[in-house]
Amino acid sequence: MSEKQQWEAIANHSKFIELKRRKRNFLFSWWIISTIYYLLLPVISGYFPEAFRVKVIGPINFGYLFILSQFVMAIGVAIYYAHVANKTFDRLTKQLLEALQ
Amino acid sequence: MKKRIAALTVALSLSMFGVAAVCAQPSATAAAPQAAASATAAVSQAAAPAAAAATQTAVPAAGVAAKAATAPAKGGGAPAKITPNRGITIGMFALIIAVTMGVVVWAAKKTQTAADFYTAGGGITGFQNGWAIAGDYMSAASFLGMSGLISLYGIDGFMYAVGPMFSFIAILLVIAEPCRNAGKYTLGDILSFRSSPKVVRGVAALSTVTVSIFYLIAQMVGAGKLMQMLLNIPYRVSVIGVGALMVAYVVFGGMKATTWVQIIKASLLMGATTILCLLVAIKAGFNPVGFFTDVVSNSAIQEHVRMNVLKDVIAKPGVDYGQRFLEPGLFLKNPLDQISLGLAWALGAAGLPHILMRFFTVPSAKDARKSIIVALFLNSSFFFMISVIGFGAALYLTPQAISAVDKGGNMATLLLAQHMGGGPGSLGGDIFLAFICAVAFATILAVVSGLVLAASAAIAHDVYVNIIKDGKADQQLQVKVARITSLFVGTSAIVMGLMAEKENVVALVALAFAVAASGNFPVIMFSLFWRKFNTAGIVSGLVVGTVSALALVMVSPVMTYPKKVAADAKKVVETLEKKQAGGAVLAEKELQALEKSRAEYVKNKDGKSMVGLDAPIFPLKNPGIVSVPLGFLAAFFGCLLFRERRAEEMFDEIDVRQNTGIGIAKAADH
Repeated sequence: MSEKQQWEAIANHSKFIELKRRKRNFLFSWWIISTIYYLLLPVISGYFPEAFRVKVIGPINFGYLFILSQFVMAIGVAIYYAHVANKTFDRLTKQLLEALQ
Repeated sequence: MKKRIAALTVALSLSMFGVAAVCAQPSATAAAPQAAASATAAVSQAAAPAAAAATQTAVPAAGVAAKAATAPAKGGGAPAKITPNRGITIGMFALIIAVTMGVVVWAAKKTQTAADFYTAGGGITGFQNGWAIAGDYMSAASFLGMSGLISLYGIDGFMYAVGPMFSFIAILLVIAEPCRNAGKYTLGDILSFRSSPKVVRGVAALSTVTVSIFYLIAQMVGAGKLMQMLLNIPYRVSVIGVGALMVAYVVFGGMKATTWVQIIKASLLMGATTILCLLVAIKAGFNPVGFFTDVVSNSAIQEHVRMNVLKDVIAKPGVDYGQRFLEPGLFLKNPLDQISLGLAWALGAAGLPHILMRFFTVPSAKDARKSIIVALFLNSSFFFMISVIGFGAALYLTPQAISAVDKGGNMATLLLAQHMGGGPGSLGGDIFLAFICAVAFATILAVVSGLVLAASAAIAHDVYVNIIKDGKADQQLQVKVARITSLFVGTSAIVMGLMAEKENVVALVALAFAVAASGNFPVIMFSLFWRKFNTAGIVSGLVVGTVSALALVMVSPVMTYPKKVAADAKKVVETLEKKQAGGAVLAEKELQALEKSRAEYVKNKDGKSMVGLDAPIFPLKNPGIVSVPLGFLAAFFGCLLFRERRAEEMFDEIDVRQNTGIGIAKAADH
């Protein structure tokens, strides 16, 4: 089997297709969701600044809390991704490698 | 043919140095400090040194003179200065140099092969690499520039910190692991995987050198200005000194030394930031509500917001100027520019070659993942602490005192350290200030080294080894070439740093980010995820993305427009002359300003911007919102114009490799 056919064979392996599909769905949807959330920051502060002025606790307003929430969001997405990757993606990759041997 | 491509690429790479140097040429007088500082913070990675530079070069600018003229009360006595204790500071600098040189000697012994030189032999752990990546983000810029911005403009400065932190998400989800699995040393390795290798490597090398050099010059100039400001070391001496150290790190120690210098610096910086943040927190009694209540009810901050920022000479009824400090819009004015900047952050950092290169230093995709998560944790806490330091500086030092030392606020962190250590002249204040200065110095060294390494790898590995030598070069030769190239890149950076002393470096940093986001990012994505993507797509994407970003920055408000400078100067002259005509006697300071503005006006009245414009055509400081889509479209349509069977057939290979890591060992020898 030529090298090209070998790669093709792996690419068409059912385990690989499953791994790829799951990875793509997960990665791209979370990437898009988090990016939208991130871009809300300049959009709200630029076009709806009054929303950021609403005081929540003492002088601390919604704007400050929203910026903090970006940090929480980023860390949250990272931890969730690490969890899913360690549990699902790495397991599927391992299964694929075992099936190929 | 191959020689021609090689010669062309080398020639173009070299001409990039020229362009970079020329690019800043007409900006000698620099933009008004506000504009300069805004663009600076926009690209916070290089911001502090750049901002320091910008504000210094901006001193003769009309904007400042105008402000000085309209508010003469502000500049009473001699300008405030920050004076570190030279003995202690130089001692700390020497200690840092000694430790890092020790690292270089150790790393040099272990650097035998090309893989050792470019990627530390893949022997960095995920945890270590996380610290190194975090270090690349924690530049003197964020450390000094961002806290300064917060201390002067409140929450808008804090908003800036979100960009660099968020940029890890794109890297974590779609860039780091696939690149680790499919790549070897450089951007060219990933892009040329299934396309015509020589053409693509040539273009990729050109793009890498462009981004790194723009960035590098900005850092060199910033370093020179910072050292000048802090220790009174002449500009030339400090640029040559920083440059020599950087060359030594890279030439002898390669990636191993560069990584460890970055790790050491990141730990020092995290340590310094944590201590400073804790001191502020202790002073505030660990009570965030109380802390912010103090901030909004501080009369100095209220006056600063009213007089210096909003310029309301008479307080408007119903406006709480203290609370305004915690509301957006004091610094960031154009919403579209903010979105454009956000886009550049979200995508640009993922296309920076010196960041990309770090993924190749770990043994597996799992380690690459771990390193990004570690870096994200470190940087989130770092930027949060910086915000506490910034607000703390505003509250405990007052914005007026901070901007008296430096208009851009870049000395806020240093002043706060001195204040918290016991105040100017006290032993504690001297030691703490010296420590923070030394950390800022280490920061600059570590960041420039990584940039030199990335540019050298593109020239030595992509151009020399793979285009000229067809990939047939033994390890010894490869390492030798890599070292010679680093020496050459480093020396050129020193020379350009010296030439660029009076230049507007802010534009250079904006360029680096814009090119990374619009040129590199789209083609990396398509190469990894789109079957049909091919050589034509890569070339058109890189070229159109890069050129459109460059072109838009050239006609943007970031550049210097002599006519505008002249108009501002004229205004100052007119105001002062009117005052004189009215019978008032001008103070010495005002006379100086008058003299300066007259000269400024004569010098600039017939000038044109670098590309021959009177005023900016493109309204935004950051081109991302236009150039990123252009880069994507060019890559997309360029690819569809030509069909390349081989690239499509080889997609299976890159797809399997990037998703599974199969063949990763092989990737390391091919």
